[in-house]
Amino acid sequence: MSKAIPEPVIRLTEAFARLPGIGPKTAARLTYFLLRAPDEISQSLADALHDLKTETKFCSVCFNITVSDPCEICADAKRDGRVIAVVEEPLDVLAIERTGAYSGKYHVLHGAISPVNNIGPDDLRIRELVERVGQQDVLEVIIATNPGMEGDATAMYIKRELEPKGVKIQRLARGLPVGGDLEYVDSVTLTRALQGRSEF
Amino acid sequence: MHIEHLSLTNFRNYARLEWTLPKGTTVIHGANAQGKTSLLEAIYYLATSRSPYTTSDRQLIHWRAETDPIPYARLAAEVCTRHRPLDRIDMTLMLDTTNGDGARFKKVVKINGAEKRVMDLVGLVNVVLFLPRDLTLVEGSPSDRRGFMNDTLAQVDQDYLDALSTYDKILPQRNALLRRISDNLAAPHELDYWDSQLVKAGAVLIAGRQRFLRELEADAQKAHHDLTGKRETLTLDYQPSFTPTAGGDGQLSFNTTGLDLHRELSAEQIAPQFAEQLEAEKGEAIKRGVTLSGPHRDELRLHINGRDAGLYGSRGQARTAVMALKLAELSWMKQRIGEWPLLLLDEVIAELDASRRAYLLDRLDGATQTLMTTTELDIFTTSFLERAAVLRIVDGQIAAETP
Repeated sequence: MSKAIPEPVIRLTEAFARLPGIGPKTAARLTYFLLRAPDEISQSLADALHDLKTETKFCSVCFNITVSDPCEICADAKRDGRVIAVVEEPLDVLAIERTGAYSGKYHVLHGAISPVNNIGPDDLRIRELVERVGQQDVLEVIIATNPGMEGDATAMYIKRELEPKGVKIQRLARGLPVGGDLEYVDSVTLTRALQGRSEF
Repeated sequence: MHIEHLSLTNFRNYARLEWTLPKGTTVIHGANAQGKTSLLEAIYYLATSRSPYTTSDRQLIHWRAETDPIPYARLAAEVCTRHRPLDRIDMTLMLDTTNGDGARFKKVVKINGAEKRVMDLVGLVNVVLFLPRDLTLVEGSPSDRRGFMNDTLAQVDQDYLDALSTYDKILPQRNALLRRISDNLAAPHELDYWDSQLVKAGAVLIAGRQRFLRELEADAQKAHHDLTGKRETLTLDYQPSFTPTAGGDGQLSFNTTGLDLHRELSAEQIAPQFAEQLEAEKGEAIKRGVTLSGPHRDELRLHINGRDAGLYGSRGQARTAVMALKLAELSWMKQRIGEWPLLLLDEVIAELDASRRAYLLDRLDGATQTLMTTTELDIFTTSFLERAAVLRIVDGQIAAETP
């Protein structure tokens, strides 16, 4: 960058450019927007950024991101602690919460097994899950990792680790999207849906 | 099947092309670097979403378009098949540079106006492509011969294509895990999932290739007999990279060199043998950090009168064997889809001597649509040229040949 641009502008632009989905042009646009915008916009952004790291932490039980430890879901006595849904990312918790159909608790792995990306079971919160199942009164574990190769590899690994504990292990069903048309469904999904058909 | 109309925008050296294709045989004539091959490449790309000439799809976009804000190339074809009167296939290749960190290549496929996955293209257009490079298939590398089987099978067999794409994703994961185990970053039992998936997909590939070669062999033999005046007999030999273990149930029949093509083998029969092999070589695989056995290492050998043509055959014998194999591929595909596939011959006619050339053209007689490129017209007989449409290409423009 040229010397005509003041150093604080360069610093912020470069900081933005490190974020996913933001290239140098977008980063510059954001920076100049903040330069011209009223002070409270940049102030509230700075506060929010600061609080993001200082006021949040991992829940020591489920490893979701939280302000209070244990997190609200883990602390909620009305929720059934005997059922645990295992998900890859915090956003997956939100997705399941949005359904309103689940009243158990969660366990967030923070990723999935992928040897190519150097992510093994030890890089995930799998050991913590096994300990949790051993210590608490858990009857059922629902493995809700993504239905792809890496999610399946993770699911299989977890199943193997949990089997000696004697809990019921379930995997989310896979199959047809609601409101979908049979003729447009790909054959792999349809095959899975046939295999996983249920009593009606 | 045939293509009625082809439109290209910024594809290779075509800034813009609208071309209504004749049925029957079309000879595309022109000097080098005028765009003959790019026409065939465009059609092959529409059929398979893969270029036979480059592994970098972004090279397909016209270099002049690269200074545009969003460089793109568009390919569109109207295709008629026996089962479907008219399908319109649209492909847009884009280099998205708006996103900063380097240009990102994007490919959008539309079929009859609706956006589809690349996989959905399969089977809509079937092509048999014959390149001069194919003539070295026999002496060439094993991966060329695996490519021959993969390219043909993946066009018509959805299960094979699914297994191939799964296999190609599992293999690097498994190899990475092998290296992690060797570095003490992972435990050997973590291989279980990847092994089970590799075995499942790999067995489908081996069974599919074995069935394919069995169906191909008789046709290849017949063409080869015709070409050699019955003096030589061609046999195909599929050699899996693992030999069966003594603990097998005895149902599998392997001869001393390879897999007996004449026995029907299902993926379910192959899978346990493959699994056993992976288990047996686990130590060595961890040490070397690669998967040592599987369809990615299997071999196809061609034998003439029982002797390996790649090792002992003359150059002429090898070429004859390849021609027989390509003609058998054509018959196989024709039988499989119930009509003639599109035929694309790039410069290959000029590489053949007069008798092989005459035989090839005779065998292609009757095809619904054949496109062949050439720099020389006088390699064809007058009667052949009278029956064909002859077009001339100069710098990305098509014109009828003036006699």
